[in-house]
Amino acid sequence: MPEAVTPSPSTTKPLPSTPKPFAAEDEAALREALKRCSPSTFEAAVQFRKTGNAEHVPAVVIGIIERFVEPDLRMKLKDADDDLRLIEDLGIDSLTMMEIVILVEDVLQMSINNDELRNLRTVGDVKTFIDCKIRGLPLPKPTKFIPIEHIGAVMPVQPPFLFLNEASVSSTAANGKYKITGQEFFLQGHFKDNPVMPASIMLEALGQLAVLYLLEGAPTEPGKAVSSQMIFFTGCEGVRAHRVCKPGDILTLSIKPKRMKMPLATFEGSIRVGQEKAVIVEEITLTYGFVEAANSPVPINGMHVDGVNGNSVATATPTPLRAAINA
Amino acid sequence: MPRVFITGLGFITSIGNDAATVTRNLRELRHGFEVYPPFQKPDIPCKVVGTVKDFNTESADPEDWTFPSRYRIKRELLRSMAPNGLYAHCAFLQAIEDARLTESDISNPDAGLYAASGGSPFLTHFHHERLQKVGVMRCSPLGIVASIVGTLNFNLVAAFKIQGASCGFSSACASSAHALGYAFDDLKLGRQKRMFIVGAEDGNVDAILPFAGMRTLSLQTDPSLASRPFDAARDGFVGTGGGTVMVLETEAEVARRGVQPYAEFLGWGQASDGYNVAISHPEGGGSAAAMARALRSTGVPAEKIDYVNAHATSTLIGDVSEARALRAVFKNSAERPLVSSTKALTGHGLSLAGVMESAFCALALREGFVPGNAHLTKVDPECEGLNIPRTTENRATEMVLKNSSGFGGANVALIFKRA
Repeated sequence: MPEAVTPSPSTTKPLPSTPKPFAAEDEAALREALKRCSPSTFEAAVQFRKTGNAEHVPAVVIGIIERFVEPDLRMKLKDADDDLRLIEDLGIDSLTMMEIVILVEDVLQMSINNDELRNLRTVGDVKTFIDCKIRGLPLPKPTKFIPIEHIGAVMPVQPPFLFLNEASVSSTAANGKYKITGQEFFLQGHFKDNPVMPASIMLEALGQLAVLYLLEGAPTEPGKAVSSQMIFFTGCEGVRAHRVCKPGDILTLSIKPKRMKMPLATFEGSIRVGQEKAVIVEEITLTYGFVEAANSPVPINGMHVDGVNGNSVATATPTPLRAAINA
Repeated sequence: MPRVFITGLGFITSIGNDAATVTRNLRELRHGFEVYPPFQKPDIPCKVVGTVKDFNTESADPEDWTFPSRYRIKRELLRSMAPNGLYAHCAFLQAIEDARLTESDISNPDAGLYAASGGSPFLTHFHHERLQKVGVMRCSPLGIVASIVGTLNFNLVAAFKIQGASCGFSSACASSAHALGYAFDDLKLGRQKRMFIVGAEDGNVDAILPFAGMRTLSLQTDPSLASRPFDAARDGFVGTGGGTVMVLETEAEVARRGVQPYAEFLGWGQASDGYNVAISHPEGGGSAAAMARALRSTGVPAEKIDYVNAHATSTLIGDVSEARALRAVFKNSAERPLVSSTKALTGHGLSLAGVMESAFCALALREGFVPGNAHLTKVDPECEGLNIPRTTENRATEMVLKNSSGFGGANVALIFKRA
């Protein structure tokens, strides 16, 4: 399992506790650099440069991203959640990402290494990344995309009771998809001549995604790993089903950890079909336990060597930054 | 082999930013020269430039540029352009509209694009200076594609989703004439069905001033006296920028789409001086050979040529060299073809010149006129024996020959026929 990416000393320099004096010419240069950004972006940048207070960073970063997004897509950023995707939702290509980085570096007076950018896929990823850089914290684990073979290899649950076709896991969330095929054995009786996905099974699917998060994404203690044999359901609250789901529907599942304290992990979860809400769970709680981490697989060049079946599973997805250059 | 026709034109030039304005200025011999503000310094000896109007590309940041509102260009496209890319992009949009091309006519494996510009010395300078000052990792990731020779084809191929042949031509002031010639060959050989030929230049300080170092620029301060091809008092060329796009199509495509072409492109020839890196052959050897080859390959006898749009840039050596080449080629009929250089009106567009002036020939053939040789008072005795009209002649012509020459003694001659 990939460890948290510890930045090399040369690329992360926590800001000095007393920021450099911010002179009038610095302000003029900053104003020029941010001349196509909103006034609030400039103000946040000034505040950051004067005080070194990292609270101003998200406003600067979002303001800079906004400046590079085509005007008709900018509305998306206004009420964006952190899951807004840079490429798919905002049309930011790898060259634009570089332009953003160069301006962020210039404005926040920091250096960003290309390799560090490879896994930034969402607005939230960018905010977390910059925040970690500013505070000199280790960078979070990148979002991992987990294909079905790998899901089957690591999960304690197996077909015909596995309800995930694909998943992505980061340190802060997990997302997955499941297509109701109509071949599920329980649909023969649920209901007579009217196959409907049981709500209890949809809850099970969210629980399975949470298990995958614990195994692949959750922070652990040094030398420990979450044991797939020790995860069990404890309880859930605030479950509401909003939509009947039938064969052919593709369930989009997502969970986010709310609290984690050994031996309990509590998540919020939701299932959508397209844009329609299907199930909401306010809290779903699992119990888990650690074992000694034995020979955990090491990521090599973006390839994840699967310890169970010996196959190589690509966990790195096409990077937004690499390969765009066709020189 | 299929016949080849000119079906669309687009212009951003010192004498107009659309075909109608260009035609009027060619007919009325109105030049596009201005006293160029950035040249008004004591250490800059030349003062006049053929300026592109209604565009401001002074900034190295394309988002600062201003241009006519009829052109809407996304930041995503603009960010990798040099000024010459902007001019060409706008001319391209005109040419598409003029030729009535659909998206699928433009973007398919049988439609290609050949381009010519000298790159952007202006942006090369800017980005290298920035590299020295702030370090390479703070430089624009698009600095290279905006600056180097080839910037035109990179940008246009991507912007217009060209899928056929594409490349750039680099034979200095013969570049876009070469592009036309090779595009013609591709159409003749059945490799492509439609070709876009693009020439463009920044036409700013960095693009033009270095020629003052060669002592080839006119030092005249009066815009109406600076460019005087074939005149005894000429003292060098006047630089200009802008962009021109020409659409060439096979006869099958012309018939399929039911469009009325400007003219037929009959063929071309090229030859080199093998003489000097920058000085024209004194007898016009390469230029004469290029014209002879163009005539031979098209089977058009010299006496059938009605008009020659000369390369003549208003330099001392170049104009004489071309005059001698013309006399050599049109021996018995040297008085017959009308000869004029429209650089008297536009200035010298360098890589842009060949396609821009070929497009002028297309307008002249379709509209039935021959632009006069403006600003000619007394013909240089060395250039005598040619039929150089001082005013525009309003009569239809059948056959037009276009000359282009570039550094290294590269010479191209193209022949067009009324459609």
